[in-house]
Amino acid sequence: MFSPLEDLLHARQGPMTSELVLRPGDFGLGHVPSRLAPVSTTDMVCGFCSTGCSLKVHLNEQGQAINLSANRDYPVNQGMACPKGWEALTPLAAPDRATTPLLRNRVNGRLEPVDWPTALDAMVTAFKGIQQRHGPAALSFLGTGQIVMEEMALLGALAKFGMGMRHIDSNTRQCMATSHVAYKQSFGFDAPPFSYDDFEQSDALIFIGANPCIAHPILWQRVMMNQRDPEIVVIDPRRTETAMAATLHLPIQPKSDLVLLYGIAHLLIARGAIDRTFVDAHTAHFAEFAEFVKPFTLDRIVRETGIEAFTIERLVEIIATRERVSFWWTMGVNQGHESTRTAQAIINLALMTGNIGRPGTGANSITGQCNAMGSRLFANATSLIGGYDFTRSDHREHVARVLDLDPAVIPDQAGWAYDQILDGIDRGEIRGLWIIATNTAHSWINQKRFPELREKLDFLVVQDMYATTETARMADLVLPAAGWGEKDGVIINSERRLGIVKKVSRAPGLALSDFAIFKLVAGAWGCGHLFERWTSPAATFQILKELSRGQPCDFTGIRDYDHIDRAGGIQWPYTEEDAAKSTSAPSASDLPESAQPPRGRRLFADGRFFTADGRARFLFDEPRPMPEPPDAEFPLILLTGRGSSAQWHTGSRTDKSDVLRKLAPRELYVEINPTDAARLRISAHDRVRVRSRRGEAEALAFITSTVQPGQIYLPMHFSTVNCLTFPAFDPHSRQPSYKACAVRVEKITKR
Amino acid sequence: MVAPNHNSTRTLIDEYLAAQQRLQTPVARFSQTHDNPPDPAMAPVYRDLIPLSKPGPGEQYAFEVDLDACTGCKACVAGCHSLNGLDHEETWRDVGLLVGGTRSHPFQQTVTTACHHCADPGCLNGCPVLAYEKDPLTGIVRHLDDQCIGCQYCVLKCPYDVPKYNERLGIVRKCDMCHHRLAHDEAPACVQACPTHAIKIVTVTTHVDGNLVLDTSDFLRGAPSPEYTWPTTRFVSNRSIPPEIIAADAASLRPQHPHWPLVFMLTLMPLAVGCFLSAAFSPAGATPLTLLGWLAGAAGLFASVFHLGQPLRAWRIFLGWRRSWLSREAILFGLWFGLASTTLLSALPTAFPALPVPALIAAPLTKLEAHRQVFVAASAALGVVALVCSCMIYVDTRRDLWRASQTFPRFLGAAVVLGAAAHFAIDPTGTQLLPLAAVILLKLAVEIRVLRPLDSDDDTPTAPLKTARLLTGYFRTVHGMRVALPLAALFIGALLVSNFPRQPFLAWFVFAMIATGELAERYLYFRAVVAPKMPGVIS
Repeated sequence: MFSPLEDLLHARQGPMTSELVLRPGDFGLGHVPSRLAPVSTTDMVCGFCSTGCSLKVHLNEQGQAINLSANRDYPVNQGMACPKGWEALTPLAAPDRATTPLLRNRVNGRLEPVDWPTALDAMVTAFKGIQQRHGPAALSFLGTGQIVMEEMALLGALAKFGMGMRHIDSNTRQCMATSHVAYKQSFGFDAPPFSYDDFEQSDALIFIGANPCIAHPILWQRVMMNQRDPEIVVIDPRRTETAMAATLHLPIQPKSDLVLLYGIAHLLIARGAIDRTFVDAHTAHFAEFAEFVKPFTLDRIVRETGIEAFTIERLVEIIATRERVSFWWTMGVNQGHESTRTAQAIINLALMTGNIGRPGTGANSITGQCNAMGSRLFANATSLIGGYDFTRSDHREHVARVLDLDPAVIPDQAGWAYDQILDGIDRGEIRGLWIIATNTAHSWINQKRFPELREKLDFLVVQDMYATTETARMADLVLPAAGWGEKDGVIINSERRLGIVKKVSRAPGLALSDFAIFKLVAGAWGCGHLFERWTSPAATFQILKELSRGQPCDFTGIRDYDHIDRAGGIQWPYTEEDAAKSTSAPSASDLPESAQPPRGRRLFADGRFFTADGRARFLFDEPRPMPEPPDAEFPLILLTGRGSSAQWHTGSRTDKSDVLRKLAPRELYVEINPTDAARLRISAHDRVRVRSRRGEAEALAFITSTVQPGQIYLPMHFSTVNCLTFPAFDPHSRQPSYKACAVRVEKITKR
Repeated sequence: MVAPNHNSTRTLIDEYLAAQQRLQTPVARFSQTHDNPPDPAMAPVYRDLIPLSKPGPGEQYAFEVDLDACTGCKACVAGCHSLNGLDHEETWRDVGLLVGGTRSHPFQQTVTTACHHCADPGCLNGCPVLAYEKDPLTGIVRHLDDQCIGCQYCVLKCPYDVPKYNERLGIVRKCDMCHHRLAHDEAPACVQACPTHAIKIVTVTTHVDGNLVLDTSDFLRGAPSPEYTWPTTRFVSNRSIPPEIIAADAASLRPQHPHWPLVFMLTLMPLAVGCFLSAAFSPAGATPLTLLGWLAGAAGLFASVFHLGQPLRAWRIFLGWRRSWLSREAILFGLWFGLASTTLLSALPTAFPALPVPALIAAPLTKLEAHRQVFVAASAALGVVALVCSCMIYVDTRRDLWRASQTFPRFLGAAVVLGAAAHFAIDPTGTQLLPLAAVILLKLAVEIRVLRPLDSDDDTPTAPLKTARLLTGYFRTVHGMRVALPLAALFIGALLVSNFPRQPFLAWFVFAMIATGELAERYLYFRAVVAPKMPGVIS
């Protein structure tokens, strides 16, 4: 009975109730909050990690993003997103966005707002002054895997061809350099061979130094969709979320991966589980490799890795007997002192067992940052722009021809890596530094050194969405940049899929897209004429397309952004011939499913690799001990890694979302085994101090047996963690070894 | 080299700045404005994750969480937030972690949880304005946002920390299992957002022939006991979960909200009732005690209003009297205030003979005056009953520190202590001091019992131990004050009685110290209580 009295006593309707009312959304969205009902939607790829999920952005009448959901029709994520993706729009509205250029006032030492002409003038004057005094190579930049491919290419070209820089690098050095070098050496090109479809097609998935449940939840979704009752093997010192979900976990001693992988190769050879036909037809140096791994006996593996013999035998059995075996690695491999050879030891296992080029197989590197792959191809740092070689004159001439340049402006050497650039600053050889969309002062290994290095710089420019990052606060000049969602461009994900990013929100104040900033710097520098054809990201895309022609990454078959958008992303290679084969433009909506071009493609189905002789290489080296092993003074090994799916790197964006902050630990915690905790008289939630030879960090004790005795674990997102890490680098990739150094833990006693 | 041309640069800058503000450019080309399929795109994904038919009699909808599939990615939390249009910091779902196992078999388990849509919901039973309803068909526990007065009693009542107070609106909001979506055969947001399909909606049997038969025997290790509210969520797993497993945040000490208006109210109301009690036992000092009691009561009730996020809706507070101790308390203290006011009125002619009294009320007032002591006694008695309701509000939450053996001595004891202290202030003699000292020491002795878990070697982070640790750690200063103030007051009181008789200022100072001590006790009562919750992450 709903009498007026009942209505008065029981307010079932009203303004607060209506705040949460849902209404059917159009565009296949299901119900949406009434007050956020979209007028239209558009799809774009997420700007956090390299999974490359497509997000359906909900727009109002002005075309402004008001909400988003995950895109069901995209082959990568199929309607799912991780919390960072769901919250991708929130960091754009943060109150601490950089809204104007900031120039350090030499009198009071403060960063003060200036207009763009003043900022550009200050930058050009300072940088040109440095070059006049110390030579052109005294300028350098540290870039990123977080901006679009067109911007990264313009930056790389501007720096080396326009501004005369010699040594440039990006934060992709911290995540993907190892995979890049390992693939290049083994396959002849930086070519991750897989498609995400392989997660579903595999009979055995072997994860090495990877925790996709937390780091790549949407890829884990694909593993869970596997209908082949797969074995899931996790090789990781910690019993991670992924290890919990595995059918076999190998709790390896940190940095003993090479011994394990060589040992498994040896056991497979001894067992005769080798695909001889494939090895003979498509690889080189197997005989030497087989000889090399002979000393890696089962006894030795057990001794050096701490893994029980039957567990190792079980893994060998799985590799030997399952039809489709795939190997997946992430930062646990890439961030090591012998990481390139470790990645190649994985590649070797795939090659020798013929687990490559077939569905559900491969030696597969899961990338880190959203555009690490685009950055690897076009940053113009290690490889000449487009995946070419600086040292080859034919390559330089080709690139010069495509870009309308004088070949003389192209250096004939690759230049220094990140750590070498920092050493160059230390030696006074590099005096001017431009940091773009990365937070060196937080993320670089042995972080405490950075403030000293900054003092040695004559001029530091930081270009970022936020003027509040640890690095931006040290700058002489801050350039306010538009973020993901405020500009157009292409990013390439882990499976080589080009996806698009669109402008769906206005940048605050005077912030400009990185593309516009690079164009303005080029103009102010006086080299704008070199980039006349690079009028927009879309125009630049056409130039990059041309650069890719004939390369393994050839994507000349892609018409334009619209083509990528309609096709649900397009994997390279996609040549003009590939495009001609599909009768009409691939469009998810126009074509029946059977007539669409395959949405997941893998490389090397024909066994032809990108080396000169078409053969993949077996590459190997003697394992070397951990650079800073534990000792009496620092008896524990510090492991670091991604702590939660709600945090991204140094938190400059994810900390801006209330929801993501709520889902992440509020302060640094340290995982410690109950045995060690008892010995150190540490109880749950005690405050402890972690010390290394380089620094210290305070943390909350989290006692858990998921970390082994003798090891502790810290999530990398907190700024004090890299005060502890030891600066060791892989000799081939120059990637820092973030995941192993010697520390001790002390309880902080109150008063 | 070409010098930068400022004019042309400026033009270009302006052009870029203008372009940066233009939306619709590429977006308009690619946006989907006309695409309007009949079914949501996600329908094929969640079709098997929601029931085919509506619940029958004795049945209701429930969340089922497949622990083996939950990996802690937290997409459910963020998806719920976006698809329900919640406020920036508002979340209706949470993901926690259970840890345990041994060196050879380390174990961890992530757990996603939201409202359990209990068969016997604590929030619903406690709500004084009937702002919660259990949907008769689906069993979904829904919150009526325009009915809520923002008293937050449901926050205290729910053992799973589900209802969340929204500062902006001054009300509580919570998960409604996306009832609107379910009504249209669409899955709730969390179900749609889970990449591994770990969450689904199932139908469970809660009642047979009107009797509660819900099986909660295997609810979730590390979670609060299900016997209180009968949560319907099912946590299923094919793995064997080790028995010694605990929540990752089990040992974390979380000081609770102080609820300042309640701290004041629950100190002032015992003072008020205590004054009337003292007045009932000593007719000589009745008038000042009645006045003080009335003032304290008025201030206490006034303070309580500040606790409400929506005080203008509070007139409905009587609605929940059948189930809610908060309703009962409000009704009884309302009646009490009328009675106390009448009592005060009856004392006025004697207290202020010079007071001009209108002829109209002079006669009734004289009648009242004749029965003054009856009114005093009745006010005291009704006040005690109302205080019992206050106690029951907290006892009924089943929080450890708020158990009956602590709450009754604290609330009723405060009435006796403060009544005696007020009496002493009015009549600072040894006759008054001795009983005051006795009740103060007795009450302290009861309170101090909560520190006993510290004597044990067992450092399992139980609620009693955590309360004891909070009191001696985070709140050591306030707790020290709480103990020292009444003892110091007694010392000064003794000096006063023996050396400085008739020092009204000092006597009231003693009273103030004792009252402040009680205020501190009530503050700690709110802050050091351990609020049960579902497993969380380390923080």
